[in-house]
Parts: sequence; structure tokens; C-alpha cells
Amino acid sequence: MSAIFPSEEWLKELETKLNSDAHYAEIAKNWEGDIFIVMEPKGNLKDQITVYLDLWHGTCRKVEYNPAASTYPAPTFTLSSNYDDIKDIVTGKLNPMTAMMTMKLKVKGNMGYMMRNVPTVLDFVRCMRDVTQEIM
Amino acid sequence: MQPILKINLTTNTTEEFIIPKEWERDFLGGASLAARILYSTLTRDLDPLAENSPLLFINGPLGGTSGPTTGRFVICGKGPATNLWAESGIGGFWGPELRKAGYDGLWITGKSLGPVYIWIEDGKFEIRNAAHILGKDVYETQEIIRAEVQVKGARIACIGEAGERGVLYASICCDHGRMAGRTGLGAVMGSKNLKAVAVHGTKKIEVENLERYSVLRSESNRMLKQDNEAKIIHELGTAGVANYAEYLGAMPAKYYHQGSFTGVDNISGSKMTESILAGFSACQGCVIACGRVVNLGDGKRKGPEYETIVGFGPNLLIDDLVEVVRLGELCDKYGMDTISASNTIGLAFHLYEMGKVTKQDTGGLELIWGSVAAVRELIHMIARREGIGEMLANGARQFGAAFGAEDEAVQVNGLEVAGHDPRGVSGMALSYATSPRGACHNQSDYFFVDFGHTYESIGITYFERQAQTEKAANVAKHQDWRTFFNSAIMCIFANVDPQMQVDLVNAACGYDWTLDDMMKCGERGWNIKRAINIRMGLTAANDKLPKALLEPYNEGGAAGFVPDLEGMLIAYYEARGWDAESGKPLKEKLVKLGLEDVVKDLWN
Repeated sequence: MSAIFPSEEWLKELETKLNSDAHYAEIAKNWEGDIFIVMEPKGNLKDQITVYLDLWHGTCRKVEYNPAASTYPAPTFTLSSNYDDIKDIVTGKLNPMTAMMTMKLKVKGNMGYMMRNVPTVLDFVRCMRDVTQEIM
Repeated sequence: MQPILKINLTTNTTEEFIIPKEWERDFLGGASLAARILYSTLTRDLDPLAENSPLLFINGPLGGTSGPTTGRFVICGKGPATNLWAESGIGGFWGPELRKAGYDGLWITGKSLGPVYIWIEDGKFEIRNAAHILGKDVYETQEIIRAEVQVKGARIACIGEAGERGVLYASICCDHGRMAGRTGLGAVMGSKNLKAVAVHGTKKIEVENLERYSVLRSESNRMLKQDNEAKIIHELGTAGVANYAEYLGAMPAKYYHQGSFTGVDNISGSKMTESILAGFSACQGCVIACGRVVNLGDGKRKGPEYETIVGFGPNLLIDDLVEVVRLGELCDKYGMDTISASNTIGLAFHLYEMGKVTKQDTGGLELIWGSVAAVRELIHMIARREGIGEMLANGARQFGAAFGAEDEAVQVNGLEVAGHDPRGVSGMALSYATSPRGACHNQSDYFFVDFGHTYESIGITYFERQAQTEKAANVAKHQDWRTFFNSAIMCIFANVDPQMQVDLVNAACGYDWTLDDMMKCGERGWNIKRAINIRMGLTAANDKLPKALLEPYNEGGAAGFVPDLEGMLIAYYEARGWDAESGKPLKEKLVKLGLEDVVKDLWN
């Protein structure tokens, strides 16, 4: 049975997926950087949730559910969005590029690195979608 | 808007043209308003380089107000390579300066006996001798004139040697490398013996409701500063998108015959930022600052934008960013469009490889892919119309025809295709095929929509990047949206919410427009340009793509795909309300848009 998004179990499933998906391993083989995802309250989400992933050369070295922002003060990228839009991204209703280009998803970090690695980011989203069967 | 100063260089006479209020309300400003103004002037038998050919510099109602990316103006007329409607938008500071001098347009007709420049200052003007400036590049020209008028803040729009010699893709430059590059209006300016127009003004630029406009201006600029796209364009320049475009097979290489380019990392916007970037430059009031300042070790200079990088990079199989910078700069100095120049040079390389162009034709020059020296030499030859440069100066269509290979030229209606390949982003097929000025990426930068940028509030939604007929109506909407932009006049990089756009226009002009009114204004502009072109001989048969873009790539992110242009056009005409056979806007459509006078011209 799949874990409900968002939850600590879901994050662990994502970690497993990222460490076992051959396509992701290939496309992200040069990626070096940790990501902080901030889900702002909206819809069914009443309190902010954050997830942290340390992504390194096609693998996921560490995840943490709801860490304090001070725990990871300078992640390579911080992606922020309200819960409804994040939910639409992980369920495939919202194209992640559309989310970024229409400011539904805010991106903070090195844009040069991001633009060099858009395919990696898109494949990361694919992995998120693959492990998302049920939502809150 | 303020009056347009009309100058006849043959008779040295002037008059003020007062823009009819109903035209302002229907067409807003910029390119659409220019099309309304020039509608009856642009006839089929008009030679674009003749004395009676018009050249209209015009502002929009937001120009110089420091609204989001509103420092732009547009230059319009008849294209010497296309023989169709021509418009070319340009940034910098010249347009706002003209507004401050008391005019919202400058309408040039006639031809001076000798080279001249025009000096406009606060409602006064004079025509000055420019014989001593002939042959000077666009930067030298600005320096000389600024010293002569003795006004430090004077802004100068000028041509270089390419415009003087009638290169059919000569550009008009203002400030440091802001170019009205497309459609060869620099050649029109040169044909009038007009080297430059210098302007300075001290008048305050006014809007109808300043209090409201100020609030909206602050809010929209604040939003723009936070926008992801704006951040990318600021940090990486317009070439920030190069890696992704290459990944999708949307960035052409080897003159549109190679679907991937392994050297993309060496020439991308990311690379420029990490290596040679030394600063940024911005147009008047712009918070994005897409302009690059680079340092190559011998001084700071303008850095290239995406189109120049693609044109002189992958298009010619050059992966040296420094050399691309220098080739782009050379074109700028001569005053020629980097898109058309690099495309036409690419065709020469392509025909050389095919054996159609020989070493004898090139004067001994070997056109081997990746040869920077050969490209540099060809740029010199084009600007001076020397040797094979004489033929290259007439653009890709004529160059191809001269070697019995017009169908190899990657152009539409005489304008060379830009660096967004419709095999990777299929919406560009319709953008190029139906653009009123030939293969243009600015009349509808639909590649952004194919990347994922939607505007749901005005019905512009997302279709898969290689979708076919189903996206035709969406492309039409996007063209209307961008035609509004080109009327306002704003930069396509201003990712401002459509409702905010309407609010800004309403506050600036005292209107009460809705989103529908805004889109209808765009649609009206698109259709009047279509009507102008039909009167000048365009038919449905002109809505086409060159052969190369209809052949699949063997490699890259677009491998195996070609756009179904025929099917897309059928759906597009239907969405547009155009006659499927002739390509003319139907009577009912014209009447609905308030273009009753056009009906009798198109339908007798």
C-alpha cells in the first residue's frame, strides 16, 4: 500500500524510488545539490510542511520530513508553493514547467545550474508522481 | 498620445500628424497603430527603398512610464527583403526620449540629396549634414553626434555601413547595442540618406491617472522582480534557455539539419554567466536587465542574446562563446541583424557542402563548418557588398535563388527563421508560417507556451510541445496577446499577469477595457497587418515553412517529428475566421473587429 502524500512515509518511498530508478540515475548522474521543498498551507493543508532531500549524482543520500529551516540554512534550491499547486504537480495535473513559469512554484537558488539541469528536475518530478497514489 | 512629427527629406518640410482618438482606442499604439496609420500608404507597387517609402518610428502609450519593460519603441514600414509589412521592436532609451521631446512618433518620407541626420530637441528639430559620419559604425556614429549636439543625455538611433549600402537585413541601433534588427528597416533608412536621428527632451511623460498608475507600476515591477523567468533572464540572459532548448531539439544546429549540439554547454547563458559576464544592461525603467556586459580581456562589451548565440554558434557548428561574442559584435557595429546574417551565412555553408556554392563563388574562401575566420570574412563582405557578399546581402531567399536552391533557404516570405525549431516546439510552425513580417519569433514567441508558459485567464493553455492541429487556436490567441504587447509596447520577457496589463493600460489611457477588449485589440492589429499584406500580394500560399523544417531530425529531442503544417493551417484559419482558400480575413470577421473600410479593399 502506498503512503499518503505528504507524509514521512511518502518521503521514504520517494527516497527508495530515487535510489532504484535507472532512468533517474542516468539523467541525474551529474546533479549535485540538496533541495528544500516548502508546502504552504492551502486547501487540506493547515500548517506548513517542508521536506528535505540531499540529491547527489543520481542518488538520494538523505531525506528529512519537516526539518526546521535552520537545520539546512543554505540548500542548493528551495522550491516553494501552496499545497494545492504542489498536489497538482505530484498528481500530474500541473506541468512542473508551467508551475515554474507561471510562478505557482517559486524557485530560489542558482538559476544557471537549474537551467543546465531542467531534464533532471523534470525526472525528479516524475519519480515524485510515481510514488504518489493517495493524497491528503 | 502626442503628435507624430512627419518629415519629408526630399522637400525638407514637416507637419505634425495628430493621431485620431478612435485609432488610439482601437489600436492602442506601437505596431498596430502604425499599421492603421500606414495602411493606405503600403501598396503593392511601393518599392521599399524608394523615396516615397515610409519609415515610422512610434511609441506606445506606456512608453517611458517605467512600467514593466515599457522603455521600448517600434519601427515600421515595408520590408525590403520581404516586400511585406515590416516592424521591428527595439529597447534602449530612444523611444522614451522622443516622448520627452514632445512626440510619439517620427514619420520619415522622401530622400535627402546627401547624407543627413535629424536632431530633435524639445519640440524643435533640424536636419544636419552627416557626410563626415558615413562609413562609421553604430557606436562611433553615436559618439560623434552626441559630441556635436553637445547634449550628454541625447539618444541616437542610427545605421551602420550595412544600412548605408542597402544590406536587406540592415538594422537600426540605439544606445549600446539595442537593435531593431529584423526586416531590414536599416536599409530603408539608408535609402533615404538618413544616417541617424538624435533626440533629447525634458518634458514629463504623462499618464491619465498617475495615482492609480503609480500603484500598479510598483506592484507589477515588484512581481516581475520575483518572477522565475525574469530571474533566469537577468542572471543568465536570454540564452539561459539554451540548454533546455537543445535538450528538446528546439535549438537548430548546422543550418537546421542537425537536431542536437554537444557543445551547448560551452555557449549557453549559464556558461556566459560563469565565465565572461562582467555586468548587466537594461532598457529604460526595466527591472529585468537582460542585457549582458562581458569582458573578453580587452575591455567590456555587449554580450550576445540567445538568437545571436544560436545563429553564430550551433547554426554554424561553432562552440566558442568568445568567438560568438565577437561575431555578434561585428554585425552590430556594421548594423546588421544577427539572425538574418547568421542564417544567410549558414545557407552559404550548407550550399557549399552540397557543392552548389564553390570556392570560385566565394573568392577562394573555404566554407567549412565551424570556421570562425570564414564567417568573419563573410560578415565583412556582406556589409561592404563585396564579392559573394553582394549576393549574401540580399538575404537567404535571394541568395538561394541565385544558386538555383531557393528551397534550401530556411526563411518564410523573405525573412530568415530564428533559433526556435518547430520540430522541437511545434507551435512555432504556425508562428513562423503566419507571422505578418515573415518567419518571426516575436510576433508569437510560442516556444515559451510549448515549454509550459500558460495564460489561463485569457484562454492560452498548455498543449504538449509536439501537439499538432489541436493547438492552432491557442497559437492564434497567443499571437493576439503578443500583438497587444507590441502595441503597448512591452517586452515579451515581461511576465505580467494579463489583468495587470489591462489595469496598466486603463490607468495610463483612461480606458475601461476588459481582458476581452485587450485581446480584441490584439486581434484587430493582427488582422489589419494581414490585410496590408494581402493588398501587397500575399495569399494563403505564402503561409508555409521551408523544406528543412518539414524534414525530421535523426537525432536529439525532436528526432522523427515534423509539424503537420497543412492540418494546423486548416484549424488556424477556422479559428481566425479567415477564408480557407484565399487566406483573407472573412468579411464578418473584419466587421466584427471594426475594420469595415478594409472589407471593400479585400473583398471588392
